[in-house]
Amino acid sequence: MKQNDVKFTLPLLDAPRTLRVRFRKVGNLQYISHLDLQRTFSRVLVRAGLPLWYTKGFNPHIKMVFGMPLPVGSESECEFLDIRIEREMSEAEVMARLNAELTDELSVTAVYPAMRKFSEIAYAEYLYTVVTAGADEALADRVREALTTGPLTVVKKTKSGEKEVNILEALHRTDVRLENGAIVIEAVLAAGEGKYLSPEALITALREKTGILSGDPTVEHYRILRRRALLADGVSTFS
Amino acid sequence: MNEKISSILKSVEKPGRYSGGEYGAIIKEKDAVKARFAFCFPDTYEIGMSNLGMRILYGALNREPDIWCERMFAPWVDMQQKMREYDVPLWAHESGDPVKDFDILGITLQYEMCYTTVLQVLKLSHIPLTAAARGEDDPIVIGGGPCAYNPEPVADFFDCFSIGEGEDNLVEFTKLYISMKEDGSYTRAAFLRRAAATVKGIYVPSLYDVSYHDDGTIAAITPKYEDVPKQVEKCIIADMDKAFFPDKVVMPYIEAVHDRIMLEVYRGCIRGCRFCQAGMIYRPVREKSHEVLNAQARCLYDNTGYEEISLTSLSISDYTELEPLTRSLLEWTDKNMVSLSLPSLRVDSFSRELMDRIASVRTSSLTFAPEAGTQRLRDVINKNVREEDLMRAVNVAFAGGKTNVKLYFMNGLPTETSEDIEGIATLAQSVVHEYYRNKERPKGRSPQVTISVSCFIPKPFTPFQWEAQDTMEMLREKQEYLYDKITDRKVRYTHHDARVSHIEAVLARGNRKLCRALALAAERGFCFDAWDEFFDYDKWLSVFADTGIDPAFFANRQMGLDEVLPWDVIDIGVSKEFLKRERARAYEAATTPSCREACAGCGANRLGGERTPCPKRGN
Ligand code: SF4
Repeated sequence: MKQNDVKFTLPLLDAPRTLRVRFRKVGNLQYISHLDLQRTFSRVLVRAGLPLWYTKGFNPHIKMVFGMPLPVGSESECEFLDIRIEREMSEAEVMARLNAELTDELSVTAVYPAMRKFSEIAYAEYLYTVVTAGADEALADRVREALTTGPLTVVKKTKSGEKEVNILEALHRTDVRLENGAIVIEAVLAAGEGKYLSPEALITALREKTGILSGDPTVEHYRILRRRALLADGVSTFS
Repeated sequence: MNEKISSILKSVEKPGRYSGGEYGAIIKEKDAVKARFAFCFPDTYEIGMSNLGMRILYGALNREPDIWCERMFAPWVDMQQKMREYDVPLWAHESGDPVKDFDILGITLQYEMCYTTVLQVLKLSHIPLTAAARGEDDPIVIGGGPCAYNPEPVADFFDCFSIGEGEDNLVEFTKLYISMKEDGSYTRAAFLRRAAATVKGIYVPSLYDVSYHDDGTIAAITPKYEDVPKQVEKCIIADMDKAFFPDKVVMPYIEAVHDRIMLEVYRGCIRGCRFCQAGMIYRPVREKSHEVLNAQARCLYDNTGYEEISLTSLSISDYTELEPLTRSLLEWTDKNMVSLSLPSLRVDSFSRELMDRIASVRTSSLTFAPEAGTQRLRDVINKNVREEDLMRAVNVAFAGGKTNVKLYFMNGLPTETSEDIEGIATLAQSVVHEYYRNKERPKGRSPQVTISVSCFIPKPFTPFQWEAQDTMEMLREKQEYLYDKITDRKVRYTHHDARVSHIEAVLARGNRKLCRALALAAERGFCFDAWDEFFDYDKWLSVFADTGIDPAFFANRQMGLDEVLPWDVIDIGVSKEFLKRERARAYEAATTPSCREACAGCGANRLGGERTPCPKRGN
């Protein structure tokens, strides 16, 4: 039996320390919603036996702050979670303890002191792999054209009804190529507060405009992988 | 997860129900195991993952290196539609492999209203619906759980049933399967026969002939062969301290209905409420020691990170070591910010100390179950609760800052009169009065007393198993009568749908003839009848009409004390004589003391058991 009471024996810190946890969420785990992920982490942090800092007051709870949202059905190599500990534990040990409680599809890739604010995230870089009927150079061209000339619209539901938005404005950079019979798109999308574009919107818009992915979903499918979070220059990696 | 399903997941509601990949899920090398077992909970993932029995059996089967047990749930209707559209057969949760290719499919029957879902699960799996239609390559379909104590209404759809606590016998059953496969003696028929003859608690319906009288009652249930037991005795785990305990837990990502540590404190119940099936079928009471429980709780906490521990058992305050258990738990739960909760409280043992210790009480509401409105009727059903006890308990609650009290009752109990129904309203009103009389009540707030009234359903293996259920008209009249008697807005009244209770009664006391009605229901697409939005009473009536079944025969008929009952083929340890005695006492409004006070001689002690109030066998 693992004794996670060990945490009570570690030296107390002068002030709670915020650690940034970078993790991946891929494969089956892409279908887990943000709310479910929060609940999962609250338990993972506990069973990892981390010396967590609890809020004071009537209903003490641990502090968790997540980076930008990731829609259900998208995978990611760069999710962020900030946690707070109140006793001395090395970053390497925090990472090892967390990974012992996680599966490969949801695992920690780095733990370090949080330096930047999540609000500094301006863009995110995605890799789309689209397996669709008739994927050839001509189709790749059509997709490329749709992504450059526009308008490329999706219908957004707002309080006052539905409205069309041109997502090209939120596309910072794209690259389209044909690879092993699949259409591969690399795209940098706006991800800053108030400007965030869901990566799923790109598929929705392209499906509408170019007819990709409109057949049998057991044959045609796609994968969205978020690879990096980027700063305002659209080039430097956020960490 | 297989490719085909994976892309469908992007277009269904709550894809996390199907995606798997949970921490703690057991993955084995499929070529390295000798039997693949799919354990199905025939309802949604969220409900199935809350079931403690499933977790226990999953762990017990997977402890065997030769067996790989996977979970399986009923896909929600949107997914079912996609599966039909794209011809995807139902899969097992861990591997994503089609269940039709498995060796054994176990289905737990937790409530009667899941039967239609069971049949849809078979259809979606592309497994022939009836045992008779299955071929050598189809999985063996085995049922279990509380509804398997009267397996007859679903007998045609199962190759066999496991009766009682399956921790040990399912393993033995699967090992027999493996050995017969290995020595080449396996055929479906040979295996089922051997299992019936040699594995305890295995009931194979096809090995029994059922004959009927002209009036539709059963004449006899006869085994077809000498070596098949006349009556199948349920299995129990004698020593609960040594029962298999799942220390490694599959952690669901999406929220299960009970998302917390469930600590099974004991099995059975020392009370003998005469309507309660659980109180009879799980006899004898067997406790776990508080030391073992504390260690298990600690282990589960370390392995799950749950912030709440729920002590589950039928009537938790009857646990003899509750005080040392809560004390040892609190030694570590408090500083780890873990809370304790008790799901079932009896008014007679409810105290301030208990309330303070137990955090379920974080909410401002408390629940008690007097079940009947007058002392006379409470004596009839042997619910040994007095009005004074209830008033004392609610006063403790009010003084402790609670304002909401929920009270459970039942309509349609044997011998019920209008006075008893009015008594429900009066009792609720007294609780309201009690609130205002209490000087320590929360200041400036008004109380809310909710009465939730269900309909009595006569259940097999209870002293009331022979009783007639009230007709729908009677139940509705009673519900309205009670409604009229409630005048205070501080009393909220909710009641169960009498139509559901009626169908449940038919299914609970049914015999094999019901199989044809259920087969037609499956053909007509019934599913998720335990969900209000899918239950359709009129459709049930037409299924019965079209198959020549009179539902009243099963639900509203007083069964003869000497009649052969469909479930007589099962032996739960409690004797029929005891049930008859208890029934007679009910009609005299005579109570029977709890097992702790005096043994009433139910017969269950012959099954054995450790840390039990029962007299030793043979005495
Ligand atoms: S044998 Fe006696 S003590 Fe044991 S369960 Fe039956 S009535 Fe209770």
